[in-house]
Amino acid sequence: MATNRWLATGNFFTTYKEEQRIFLTNIDRLCLWLLIAALYAWPFFVETSNKGMLVLDNILIAMVAILGLNLVTGFAGLISIGHAAFVGVGAYTTALIASGLGTDHVFLTHAWPLVIIISGLVGAVFGGIVGLPALRLKHLYLAIATLSFQMIFQWVINFSKLFNQGQTMSVGRVFWLTGKIGRKDHYLFWYFAVLTIVVISGFLVRNLLRTRYGRCLVAVRDNDRAADAMGMHPGFTKVYAFALAGFFAGIAGSLHCYLYRGAGIESFTLHQSISYLAMAIVGGLGTLSGSFFGPAAIRLLDLGVENLSSWATNFLPSTMNIATALRPLTFGLVIVLFLMFEPRGIANWWRIIKSYFKLWPFKY
Amino acid sequence: MRKMLMVTTIGLMAACFAVSTAQAETYKLAISLAITGPTSDAGAPYAKGVEDYVKYANDEKMLGDDMIEVLIRDDQYKTDVTKRNFEEFLDEGIPIYLNYSTGSTLALKKDFEEEKIATIPASFHAGNLVDSNYIFLPIQSYSNQVIALSEYVVENSKGGVPKVAMFIHPSAFGRGPVEDTKGAVEKGLKMDIVEVVEHGKDLDTTATLQRLMSKGVQYIICHTVQSPVAVLLKDAERLGIVASSFGEEGKITFLGAHYTGGNDLIDLAPTASENFYWTTGYTLTSEPGPGTDLQLKIAKKYGRDDKTANSHNYTNGMMVTQVAIESMRRAKEHGKEINKETLYDELNAMNGDNAYDPLTTTGPVTFSKDDHEGVDKLQIYRVTDGVFKSVGEPFVPKYVVKN
Repeated sequence: MATNRWLATGNFFTTYKEEQRIFLTNIDRLCLWLLIAALYAWPFFVETSNKGMLVLDNILIAMVAILGLNLVTGFAGLISIGHAAFVGVGAYTTALIASGLGTDHVFLTHAWPLVIIISGLVGAVFGGIVGLPALRLKHLYLAIATLSFQMIFQWVINFSKLFNQGQTMSVGRVFWLTGKIGRKDHYLFWYFAVLTIVVISGFLVRNLLRTRYGRCLVAVRDNDRAADAMGMHPGFTKVYAFALAGFFAGIAGSLHCYLYRGAGIESFTLHQSISYLAMAIVGGLGTLSGSFFGPAAIRLLDLGVENLSSWATNFLPSTMNIATALRPLTFGLVIVLFLMFEPRGIANWWRIIKSYFKLWPFKY
Repeated sequence: MRKMLMVTTIGLMAACFAVSTAQAETYKLAISLAITGPTSDAGAPYAKGVEDYVKYANDEKMLGDDMIEVLIRDDQYKTDVTKRNFEEFLDEGIPIYLNYSTGSTLALKKDFEEEKIATIPASFHAGNLVDSNYIFLPIQSYSNQVIALSEYVVENSKGGVPKVAMFIHPSAFGRGPVEDTKGAVEKGLKMDIVEVVEHGKDLDTTATLQRLMSKGVQYIICHTVQSPVAVLLKDAERLGIVASSFGEEGKITFLGAHYTGGNDLIDLAPTASENFYWTTGYTLTSEPGPGTDLQLKIAKKYGRDDKTANSHNYTNGMMVTQVAIESMRRAKEHGKEINKETLYDELNAMNGDNAYDPLTTTGPVTFSKDDHEGVDKLQIYRVTDGVFKSVGEPFVPKYVVKN
């Protein structure tokens, strides 16, 4: 190990413990803390519209959801095509609490962190249940099992009066130390709240991956028989990977419900599940940083194509509805291009950039 | 002396010009709707209707020197995007808002209440008005449209209680009128609702039609969008069960609420849609009148193609804009500032002698504190020789449901 941990080069490990450090160097630590500080500080210096803040909040919520999806699909290698349904479970848990107690009940408006955790736990329970087929099924067969959950979820929500037949179930505005959060501060408040959850979740996942439970996920993904021979329990590992994914998805769902002040089925459809999967792929499956890059890239791409489609309607013939096709075309094209040319996702570009600065001014 | 007079005159003129320029205001009118994505076949002409009428209002100086700026955003029929657009509009300081889908109207209902902003959606879902003070439906709700069709069936059916099936969209939009129609039956509308069919994405409805025939269904009232109705009609035509006259024995007569009809239905099912009965609160260009003349004139002025010019969705977009601009005009006429509060008051005052006739509807627009359904009269149209023709006069359903 280098004696000076501020140096980026010359580091080598002499113990396994050193290899498991969260930060390789003090520079890494400093950069991350500076980034986090900047993320908290910039809204005080830059005026942003509610619309802009809503976009950012959405990206952050997707990051929480993708942290879960990356655990189950990226680290544990279990394909899940029903992630939006898990997010929906969280959202509808919050919405059900609201419909049961009243949209402005104090539990919902004041104890909202607790509601978010409860929603996460319900998501984890559903994740665990849906993960049970993973004891027997693998690969595409497991993917179909998760797809069934997505379909069942949509059907139940669409046809059950308990869930308002898929129409929006409202949730009231929350309170903070400063009082009720009105429209003016709503999106800024949730920016800070979701950012805090993203930071905490990021550290939780990073730490989980340093533990034997985290390493189990990777071992089972790479070779579950070998993992079994090494004393790990592949079945339990798979189920708990799904439960963890469900937990993060549930939290994301609850946040979505609070942000939009309600839950409606159209935010948790199969299309959204595919979108989540695309975020994980584009970000980089099996990487922590990919869970942050993917949602940002796909959400911003969505926004860009949305504007492009809107602009294109001004001159493209309406009968052919080409503008409508632009979004799915672009979306599909981006995924295919990433799978072909950068299957390790944006996280790999980040790794290359970091390596460049680590070696700089030398080439290798 | 002459020089001084000239300078004074120029100075006065400049001052007057400056004052008039300073006094001219620009008001913003905003709409978020599906220009692309699902239902964009309705949303695109609707948006053009909104855009053109605002241009027309500005050109005609309906607000004097004041101008209206229209903000049109595509939401791809997604509530999340509508919410984002709405937030943008609020930041822009709009005094009135035009929304589109049922889902987003219900989802944003609380926001409309909080912001106290009058909203006119393209959705006529009766549930929009439940627990709402700020949503104004342009015409009768879907529920009342279906009830109107049911009443027409009961009044014109010969022999016994008519057997009716409902063919509905599998969503809140589709299901909304079912309970209200059943309620009308309980209140005395003599009609037997044999079955309620929620359609999927079926490309063949033969089995459904044969089942309904075996149950003795004489009438199918549709409340969905055009494409599933076109599939149903084409299958019925293939089976030879489309009634050639209203209530023809052994055949089925098809009827539909606002979003099932229009020229798009005729395009989708050219021959099968013959004798399809449709109700709406809008005038159609196939039945010329002052409203349709105005519509065609505006469409021509702003270079719209024939399809758009003759679309009832174009009329729809124009009409909601007419109502919004009329509320602005009246607020200004009454010497009030144009803002959310005054426009809301003006809309609620649109009744009695103050009812507004935009000409593009089958009756005047009447709103009050207790009645947020604009045009009360509905017109039944029937496809005859490939175009929609009026059947009888516009009427107000007897079993009308008010929320």
